Amino acid sequence: MLRKRLLQTAAPLVVGVLALAGCSKGGDEASADGKKVFKIAYEGPLTGESAALGAHMENGVKLAIQQANAKGDLPFTLQYVPGDDTGTADQAPAAAQKIIDDDQVIATIGPAFSAPTKAVGQLYSQANLLALTSSASSPSLTTLGFTSFLRGIPNDNAQGGGMAVYYAKKVKAKKVFLVDDKTEYGVGLSGVAEADLKKDGVQVVRESVPQKTPDYTAVATEAKNSGADALIYAGFYADAAPFAKKLKEAGFTGPKIASDGTNDKKFVELAGDASEGWLLTCPCVDPTVDPDIKKFTEDYRAAFKVDPGTYSAESFDAANLVIEQLKALGTGATREALLAAVKKADYKGLTKRYHFDDKGEFPDKAAFLYQVKDGKIVYQGDVNTLANG
Amino acid sequence: MSLNQFWDYLVPGVALGALYAVIAIGYTLVYGVLQLINFAHSEVFMLGGFGSLIVLTSITPAHPSALVSVLLVIVGLVVSALVGGATAFGLEKVAYRPLRRRGAPKLIFLISAIGASFFLYNLAGKLFGRDPLPMPHLYDNNVVLHLFGARVTITQLLLLGCALVMMVALDLLVNRTRLGAGIRALAQDAETASLMGVDTDRVISRTFLIGGLMGGVAGFLFGLNTQVSFTMGFNPGITAFAAAVLGGVGSIRGAMLGGLLLGLVESFDVPVFGEEWRYAAAFVVLVAVLMFRPTGILGVKLGRAA
Repeated sequence: MLRKRLLQTAAPLVVGVLALAGCSKGGDEASADGKKVFKIAYEGPLTGESAALGAHMENGVKLAIQQANAKGDLPFTLQYVPGDDTGTADQAPAAAQKIIDDDQVIATIGPAFSAPTKAVGQLYSQANLLALTSSASSPSLTTLGFTSFLRGIPNDNAQGGGMAVYYAKKVKAKKVFLVDDKTEYGVGLSGVAEADLKKDGVQVVRESVPQKTPDYTAVATEAKNSGADALIYAGFYADAAPFAKKLKEAGFTGPKIASDGTNDKKFVELAGDASEGWLLTCPCVDPTVDPDIKKFTEDYRAAFKVDPGTYSAESFDAANLVIEQLKALGTGATREALLAAVKKADYKGLTKRYHFDDKGEFPDKAAFLYQVKDGKIVYQGDVNTLANG
Repeated sequence: MSLNQFWDYLVPGVALGALYAVIAIGYTLVYGVLQLINFAHSEVFMLGGFGSLIVLTSITPAHPSALVSVLLVIVGLVVSALVGGATAFGLEKVAYRPLRRRGAPKLIFLISAIGASFFLYNLAGKLFGRDPLPMPHLYDNNVVLHLFGARVTITQLLLLGCALVMMVALDLLVNRTRLGAGIRALAQDAETASLMGVDTDRVISRTFLIGGLMGGVAGFLFGLNTQVSFTMGFNPGITAFAAAVLGGVGSIRGAMLGGLLLGLVESFDVPVFGEEWRYAAAFVVLVAVLMFRPTGILGVKLGRAA
């Protein structure tokens, strides 16, 4: 009886306390040292099939925030907020809304993937909250009228065009088998590659294979039977790996290129021998090639006990670009002011020079080629240079 | 598609169909004795894959010799069977038996099944990570023979061989043993069977066990063929469920036939209509068959001999 009474009294109390705790979250809270707090969010896949890609980027953002706080010259304290959209359009609105509703969030790095970006670009625009992506590369994203979306990498016209020019000029392919994964990203990228290949007089056989298809044998067999002498896969490593295995089993021996969604050591891990020789494109540079990035790589390893991956350095750059503008604005910074400042920014990052055109597009076109050799992803160089060389 | 290429699609279609058939049997068996679709069966399949993956990863040497490869495959089969069997057995104890004791309506069983499925799915994601994992390299998956020009790999042979052995063994078990008689009796009329001295609880939990053993093995074979991930159960699970319905749910031979048929449809769909139509084609076949034969192709009850 006593227990029941206790529960009856305690339950509303607990609820009340929780509600209060919830309320205080939105307020103008100061950090432990009394400084004003600004939060930088990251939206991308932190769980789900592409979580490995998302973690590389999240770590880049986290590292930039940690280092900026550690320097001690900021008039405010920076905090990190994760927004897990699982890399899918259906989870993205909830993730973005959570970020937008937090008044202390001043900028978002992301969304990481193209489909989620398409789904939430308008939400960010309405909130005047900067969404600076370090990886969403579908060309259509900057044509949809989003006012707060900026792209920190060359779009897929560079990658798709790079694949096409490499096959047309260097490999001198007659017929290319082109597979996309039916995502916003895969379809956009392979569309660019298809158009550019046809322009160069190369025949294209195109096939769409939805993600998570349990068996790629039939498509691999079709690739072989199509008589194509080269192949392109536009999608993510979780699907590229089983496809690579089946291609090897089917006896497809021509050159194979996959895009940045596949450019991760997980691809090599999953596909094993079958990944050997695959070419991988990326608008990202190899962090181990550039000496400027060596320190970043060391810091990253020290902080997270793993090597930086695809887009780690780009995400680090994007966060630092935001932090630099925020520093100039000081404690009075607003979302609007920061958005305007970043749009006009010209920032030299580790990976490249950051600047944006009036649509928020990254104006420089570049794509780099990598190749899987002895189980490692090895940097080859600029794809256009390689194709024409 | 020329005649030569016909065989190129037939071989993988049969291999995939055999896999679907083995999973479909799990659905059909449980339906036979309980008139209930065990929606958590796809997670039994998934956990079988993980069980074998974890054990094999810890014991597989870098370059196994032929003999070691054979042993490793056997270990994989046994471990996945045990994990799958234990999962299904436990599932029946936790998610279904308490409901049965209370005479809960069928709908509640369905919810319980879906709940168990979600729980296991998310548990696996939490425990093993959300990224797909590769099976360790047990052997070089070479082409061992050419069937009218089509390449047949070791994995495909293994898949087909294991499926055949399991299906024949099950057929014998159901038709020739005491447990099989119990399963058939229960399927035909649970009440009468129990009055005639069939230990209902025991037969039901063993039925789950058998379906689980087979589902677990299928998980291992699937992982060997592609990779293992916490989401791997979903697509094959749905297809196998459709296969069970197509063959006539409750009929074991029907499940085998349905699985094979859907595997073939999925394989031949690619050269004919294109990969995008894969599932659409499979389900058009399903609906078409059910329109003319609502009980499924071999739609007799499990009770009247498989």
